[in-house]
Amino acid sequence: MLQSFVHRVQQQNKWWFLMGALFVVIFFVVPIFRLVFLSFSSEGGLTFENYTSVLQDRSTWKTIENTLYVVVGSSIIAIILGIMTAWVVAYTNIRQKKLIQLFIFLPFIIPSYITTLAWTQFMSKNGFFAHLLSLLPGSLEPLNMYSLHGIIIVMGLSHYPLVYLLTVGVLRKIPRDLEYAARVSGASKWRSFKNITLPLALPGIASGGFLAFIASLDNFGIPAFLGIPGNIRVLSTYIYEQIVGLGPNSFERAATLSVILGFIALTGTFIQWLLLKKSKNNETAVEDKEPRFLFSKRKRLTIELLLWSFLLLTTMVPLISMLSASLIKAYGLPFAPENISLKNYQFVLLENQKAITSLKNSANLAIITTIFCLVIGTGIAYIRTKKPSILSKGLEMIIGIPYALPGTVLALAMIFAWMEPIPGWNPGIYGSIMILLIAYVTRFLILQVRGSITAFMQVDSSIEEAARVSGSNGFFKWKKVLLPLIIPGVISGALLVFLTALTELTVSSLLWSSGTETIGLVIFNFEQAGYSTYSTAFSCIVVLFILLAFFMLAILQKLWDRRVLHHDRTN
Amino acid sequence: MNLVKGGFLLSLVSLALVGCGSEESSTNNGSSTGIEGDLSFYTSQPDEDAQKLVDAFTEKYPDVNVQTYRSGTEEVISKIKAEQKAGDVQADVLLVADSVTFEDLKEEDLLLKYKSEELSEIPSNLVDPDGMYAGTKVMATALVANTANVKEMPDSWNVLTDNSAKGKTIMPSPFYSGAAAYNLGVFTRNEPFGWDYFKSLKENEMTVTKGNGAVLQAVADGEKAYGMVVDFIVARAKAEGSPVELIYPKEGVPVITEPIGIMKDAENEEAAKAFVDFVLSEEGQELAAEIGYTPIRKGVDAPEGLQTIDEMNVIDADISELYQAKEEDKKEFETIFGQ
Repeated sequence: MLQSFVHRVQQQNKWWFLMGALFVVIFFVVPIFRLVFLSFSSEGGLTFENYTSVLQDRSTWKTIENTLYVVVGSSIIAIILGIMTAWVVAYTNIRQKKLIQLFIFLPFIIPSYITTLAWTQFMSKNGFFAHLLSLLPGSLEPLNMYSLHGIIIVMGLSHYPLVYLLTVGVLRKIPRDLEYAARVSGASKWRSFKNITLPLALPGIASGGFLAFIASLDNFGIPAFLGIPGNIRVLSTYIYEQIVGLGPNSFERAATLSVILGFIALTGTFIQWLLLKKSKNNETAVEDKEPRFLFSKRKRLTIELLLWSFLLLTTMVPLISMLSASLIKAYGLPFAPENISLKNYQFVLLENQKAITSLKNSANLAIITTIFCLVIGTGIAYIRTKKPSILSKGLEMIIGIPYALPGTVLALAMIFAWMEPIPGWNPGIYGSIMILLIAYVTRFLILQVRGSITAFMQVDSSIEEAARVSGSNGFFKWKKVLLPLIIPGVISGALLVFLTALTELTVSSLLWSSGTETIGLVIFNFEQAGYSTYSTAFSCIVVLFILLAFFMLAILQKLWDRRVLHHDRTN
Repeated sequence: MNLVKGGFLLSLVSLALVGCGSEESSTNNGSSTGIEGDLSFYTSQPDEDAQKLVDAFTEKYPDVNVQTYRSGTEEVISKIKAEQKAGDVQADVLLVADSVTFEDLKEEDLLLKYKSEELSEIPSNLVDPDGMYAGTKVMATALVANTANVKEMPDSWNVLTDNSAKGKTIMPSPFYSGAAAYNLGVFTRNEPFGWDYFKSLKENEMTVTKGNGAVLQAVADGEKAYGMVVDFIVARAKAEGSPVELIYPKEGVPVITEPIGIMKDAENEEAAKAFVDFVLSEEGQELAAEIGYTPIRKGVDAPEGLQTIDEMNVIDADISELYQAKEEDKKEFETIFGQ
């Protein structure tokens, strides 16, 4: 009987696997294959010509070099900032952690063009930072933001929340006894961090770092704004130039460059795997939110001051510049009482119908995308962690690529793949809101997969076996044993999916159709028409809207915590 | 594992639903004009302006259901080309920034020949001689100056190469803006500019930025004193109260015309032709002026702050030559402005 049970389980698993494979083939392999195929095609059939011509071009190599600098540099910044903030929030006894968490998220929500603009103003020769420096001895000058350094810094600051979010939960789950044991047996604070905490936290750090890595590969807004004046190209902007240049072979060249970019993304995946190999297996523990380092009042105040000045600088600089631009009557007028008005808000909220529609559209799209990703991504993550095989590794590699590709390229691949999925048959997906949904799921699934993998990696397989051996069926096993353990990690992934889908622009700008305006598109439209006051006003409304959602979530979480805690006690 | 299956089924079901949903399209019989059905309109005009145009058109042709797709010129063209590669161009009518872009579509045999009766009132140099596309308005690239930083308004393009403006000038990149690429072609083919003008611009530390919007922003907030920018956005900003002034330099200005054209395999040719006629008609041109553009049709007044086509001193160049030389022009620009 036991044998037939095992057999049935295996049989069942095969079916699941086939289904999953089919899904991945349709949604990921086909579009990517169309792109790779395009890179090898010319009017005369298949050819290597695109590669030889692209690789012989000197600017391609310069571009790849720049891209590597930017991606590696900004990922390092994101990882360091992410670990530091996560450690402080998870382990120390500082106050107002919820509020701090919110501030860490803000740079991720504020549209990157606003962040970039704000930083350039802040760092400009007659900006705030220059005034600050002039007070110091010596002749220091603010950093020129239109440079590789500028791009690296702004990108690192925009992406560190990714690392923070995936690391903070992992840190909380590391059993405190381990570190105490190390400390008791004489290890210094730093050594116990290096030898115990860091390896145990690697699943989260590697996942977050990897996401920051591919997010900076695909980022277009920051290098476009800061790179063009300095004549600095990275792959995402170079590919865009190819596409809009409309030369003969422009698509083929763009596809070829995208394949090169895909290779860089895959290298990132491999590095991530190497790191994960070094990570230590963890004993299962539920999140432990109690502080582990009780600093004295004085020390705590110093840490709080440092952290808050960092947070205020990184979030308030862009936020204030956005807010003040949105309140001014016309762009360029000084911020003085006679120039302040609410007319931009009035226009966006009352006179322009598209803005409100777009809020609804984007919220709907983001919610549905999140639900799809949550279910599918967690399923894939489960397969990937519990049954690691070449196939499931390949799965993870493929799913990561659409997030790393520049949005424009992914959108083109989507048109190739979905307008006529079978040549000659147009099912009407392209041209409806469905194409946006499919594109979002394809693009953002990796965020959920990484979030959920991180969660699963911390569930020791012995727990699941114990549940099975003691007779729990599948449903019960999930509900009572797995879910409570993985929920925090899974939710982090879902949050990332939701926030990125909500303000997505590049993919939508090619795939939307009448009636499916999204938030990103409305902002893009205002910008292009020269109405930057409207676009900043609308961005403020979006940020406000997200903050409201956050507060609602926080309340919900409190209710949830209460329920779970209560539940734990009765058990 | 249940979750995987659920999600997958859900997606299959929703795909199936969409498949069915697309079949329903309202057919309205008994129209008064005889022109009806769906019309797919791709454009790079700002959303609001496109909406006003479509509203005015459907008021006249209530049985036509216009579906608008709006994005930047570059995105619109990429979309059309991707659709072509995927098997079927979805657009019927196209209206984007400049004629060089249309020249490219003409070369690829994507356009339908149509000589509207309204063309008699449009300057013939702003219309394709083969009837593939026609200009719909006039947008000059002119000078913008910040009124707080600049005391004496210049009257010549030479101000950008003047020592007093060193490091204080900005222009859009021809790699990102089709209009900027067009201007580059025109300036370098006309006296007294040529490539030497761009070399002096570089020597005078001209900043190159992404698009026209960014140029206006930099000049409006005083980061730069002068900019090379399309005229109508300056007039709009000035009317709102931004500290900027628009100047048409005496040497002349390059103009782009936001041409309109019909796609070769347009599904609704009749409605597409009616749409083109409407845009070029007196009524359509008055609407353009009302929205804030310089109309292309003779005898329709320009909005306040902008010059009419008769007042402008237009400099131009042969369109097909510009189209052929576009890549080389950009390369040359890069060798001058590259570091």
